Amino acid sequence: MEPSTRLAKIAFNSATISFDDRFTLSEVDWTIEPGQHWVITGANGAGKSALAAALAGVGKLETGSIDGLPARVGLVSFEAQAELIAAELKKDDADIMDVVSLGTPVREMIFDYCSDAELAGELVEKFGLTPLLERAFRKLSTGETRKVMLIRALANEPALLILDEPFDGLDVDTLAMLQAHLAAIVERVPMVLVLNRFDEMPDFITHVAYLDKDRPEPVKGSKKRSEGGRLAFTVDRQDEAAYNELYQLLHLKTSDLRVPDADPASQLPALDPSQPLVKLTQATIRYGDALIVDRLDWTIERGQHWQLSGPNGSGKTCVLSLITGDHPQCYTNDIFVFGFQRGSGESIWQIKQFIGYVSTALQWEYRVSTSCRNVVISGFYDSIGVYNKATDQQKRIADQWLALLGMSARADQPFNKLSYGDQRLLLIARAMVKHPPLLILDEPCLGLDDMNRQLVLALIEKICEGGETTVLYVNHHTEDRIKEIDNHLTLEKLSAL
Amino acid sequence: MANYFNTLTLREQLEQLAKCRFMYSSEFDEGVEALKGKKMVVIGCGAQGLNQGLNLRDSGLDVAYALRPDAIEQKRQSWKNATENGFTVGTYEELIPTADVVLNLTPDKQHTSVVNAVMPLMKEGACLSYSHGFNIVEEGMKIRDDLTVIMVAPKCPGSEVRAEYVRGFGVPTLIAVHEANDPKGEGLALAKAYAVGTGGHKAGVLMSSFIAEVKSDLMGEQTILCGMLQTGSILCFDKMIEEGIDPGYASKLIQYGWENITEALKYGGVTNMLDRLSNPAKIKAFDLAEELKEIMRPLYNKHQDDIMSGHFSHTMMEDWANDDVNLHKWRDETAETNFEKTPAGDMAISEQEYFDNGILMVAMVKAGVELAFETMTAAGIIAESAYYESLHETPLIANTIARKKLYEMNATISDTAEYGCYLYNHACVPLLADFMKGIKSDVIGKGLDVDDNGVDNARLIDVNEALRAHPVEAVGAVLRGHMADMKKIV
Repeated sequence: MEPSTRLAKIAFNSATISFDDRFTLSEVDWTIEPGQHWVITGANGAGKSALAAALAGVGKLETGSIDGLPARVGLVSFEAQAELIAAELKKDDADIMDVVSLGTPVREMIFDYCSDAELAGELVEKFGLTPLLERAFRKLSTGETRKVMLIRALANEPALLILDEPFDGLDVDTLAMLQAHLAAIVERVPMVLVLNRFDEMPDFITHVAYLDKDRPEPVKGSKKRSEGGRLAFTVDRQDEAAYNELYQLLHLKTSDLRVPDADPASQLPALDPSQPLVKLTQATIRYGDALIVDRLDWTIERGQHWQLSGPNGSGKTCVLSLITGDHPQCYTNDIFVFGFQRGSGESIWQIKQFIGYVSTALQWEYRVSTSCRNVVISGFYDSIGVYNKATDQQKRIADQWLALLGMSARADQPFNKLSYGDQRLLLIARAMVKHPPLLILDEPCLGLDDMNRQLVLALIEKICEGGETTVLYVNHHTEDRIKEIDNHLTLEKLSAL
Repeated sequence: MANYFNTLTLREQLEQLAKCRFMYSSEFDEGVEALKGKKMVVIGCGAQGLNQGLNLRDSGLDVAYALRPDAIEQKRQSWKNATENGFTVGTYEELIPTADVVLNLTPDKQHTSVVNAVMPLMKEGACLSYSHGFNIVEEGMKIRDDLTVIMVAPKCPGSEVRAEYVRGFGVPTLIAVHEANDPKGEGLALAKAYAVGTGGHKAGVLMSSFIAEVKSDLMGEQTILCGMLQTGSILCFDKMIEEGIDPGYASKLIQYGWENITEALKYGGVTNMLDRLSNPAKIKAFDLAEELKEIMRPLYNKHQDDIMSGHFSHTMMEDWANDDVNLHKWRDETAETNFEKTPAGDMAISEQEYFDNGILMVAMVKAGVELAFETMTAAGIIAESAYYESLHETPLIANTIARKKLYEMNATISDTAEYGCYLYNHACVPLLADFMKGIKSDVIGKGLDVDDNGVDNARLIDVNEALRAHPVEAVGAVLRGHMADMKKIV
């Protein structure tokens, strides 16, 4: 049962692969020889994740052929992660018995699935998941969920490992551990990685595949023009000149960037300038016996930009949700936000009107069928979907944002058919659209390619400079620093669970 | 306790049954003001109790949970639900005397014992809120004269009530004031503020009466909503097996078929549901439905009569007193039906195929919706109520069957609905025995076997006119229009 000896080469021969009706990869010619390890890269929406998924047998082969796909594939991706979460939520039988269900525990998610229980156990220990084994999978933080996905892929004896953005959302320690583990199995398991960040490319990668967007002719008899991508070229890592060119290609000049104006018609209640925007006093969050945040004091003054960091599971998102009012325990803590002492009769909509917010959790929750333009407009109303009649002015501003993101042509297309990265860009625009007094960006660059990451970072800098918005930025990547941000808060993971 | 409805004069009964109107957005301009600073204590921390409480608190209201001492001592799930979400939890003795509004969100069956325990503890002039009127109307619970009694009933499962609120929207909600208990005339203001607190005003609010809610709710759930779907599932499945259809296919066609065909109902009423069929299939479905209506009308009348007279609730309460022996027996029998025991196959069935191969199912939904509507309105229930409790809710119930078949449906609905559903099913299956003998796989399982789709013009015109002329279509068009105004702009 030695996988490396059984692995034949994988060959795509003019393969056109469709994914539901929403995306088509056309005419892919691609060969993975035994011993090669690939990175797939390219622009957002070019089909990187689709190509990776095709290796796992996802999608419908329209023409051409694909040979040599192994049966046992380990796949980690945001799409697969979101699917697993959605499946867990669907399992939630809360309403059947009028009880609130607890969900599948982490132990079951891992050990009922992995064929190599010994390795799984080892990884659980290494990734620090041991104390979480009995917790419901859907109660985990984004990073913790990711770790569970990784263990399921690694410890199931894969003949091919497909890792779509495996390093995003992992803290520094976990990242090092994962990279070491991958390096150790490189002789035995061929790997294909989807990476948006060039600087994260592991040393063992031998080849890079670059994908580009494709606009196929509409299919005859169908009004739908589906989005598409194609494999533009491949680069051997030994070929230094080609490799450098590719790096350049992924960069974007951001000098003439202009942030669209706010809506002059929407006036917020005035804030008392002598008071801080946010003041948490001895903030504490616990689930049962588990302590997540322990007596945190934190004051955010107006115009004081902050970066919040800390390892996975250190409670970053929990602390943010105390501020946004999304965490139920905000009512048991001493929290002062935008002139309100929480729990004194204010509604969450009175709080949210001062905040623009983007996070991975928001992206999971944004599951309504609505157009791209409406997603941006929903930022004026702090809603998921639009339930108010938007003004012409708001529509104009939304269109300016779409133009800025290069998505004007897709204004009326459904949001849920976009790629993960494109969805993320729109949600960032949604958070910024009203020029909120407090802009909370919880790992905003997850799932973005190099070009769009530069774009978003530049936007954040412009917004910081603008003076009306205070930015609260959460990120693991130390190189994604915003020069205007000079206040840092680092949360520690609490060991006593 | 005497049946409250039966103590009223005919004039009063008719007046109460005729209450149901869709409220305007402007009627909610005062927001949650009427409840601001008041203490709201929820009894019951299941899916409705917890999620309504979360919404009310996020709307700026003061919410706490009163639980039974054993639930607190043993740290039961209800206790965990409330405490982990940062709510104050206490015993009835601790919290009820402080409450301005007590929200009774326990199951029907517990209402009498809960209200008997709570009422003596409530302070003078406080408000007691229900989400279903059975206890007041059918059991005849007499509430202290100084207390205001209202009903606020979100028309969706608890998780949905929360999810829509968090999105910035809400779910359609029914409100009512028990006129015998509105000493200060503030019942309506409180009910409206409560509906705003849960987000319901954004999705549309119906103002009804306790009586209209109970009598139409019972009728709808027993007949078209649950009973007809259960009987239809069992009969259609057995017929397909008899006709040699693959059991996996038959199981799937039914499990997901109700959901698919009633989705068309949701968008455009019975007319649109039949318009999804080819012309010959539409005429076939129409004829089958006419036949079904004639056979089933006496049964629908009997259900409505028993509901109105109180006979239904009387016999059901006897079963409650007898440890639910009948309910449990019938529940077990349902689990043993062939449909329930045959898993859905993994073949693909397109949305259109559910219509084409499920002509009999379409006919059953049409017959059930129209009969329930006709029977309710003939009994004095206003058309708006009758519409909501027949056509409007059918897709919601069909959705539960799609999740996990009849088990899921019967687990999701109240015990009261489940009991009535079985009563209907036991009468309806034998009633349709002769009719089913004439049924072949062309109307259930395979689709019509015709050379072309030609039909007679005059006949098609007659059928189309008859479909569109039914009164459920007229009121439905108006109400769906209101809802669409408030619905998400998509």
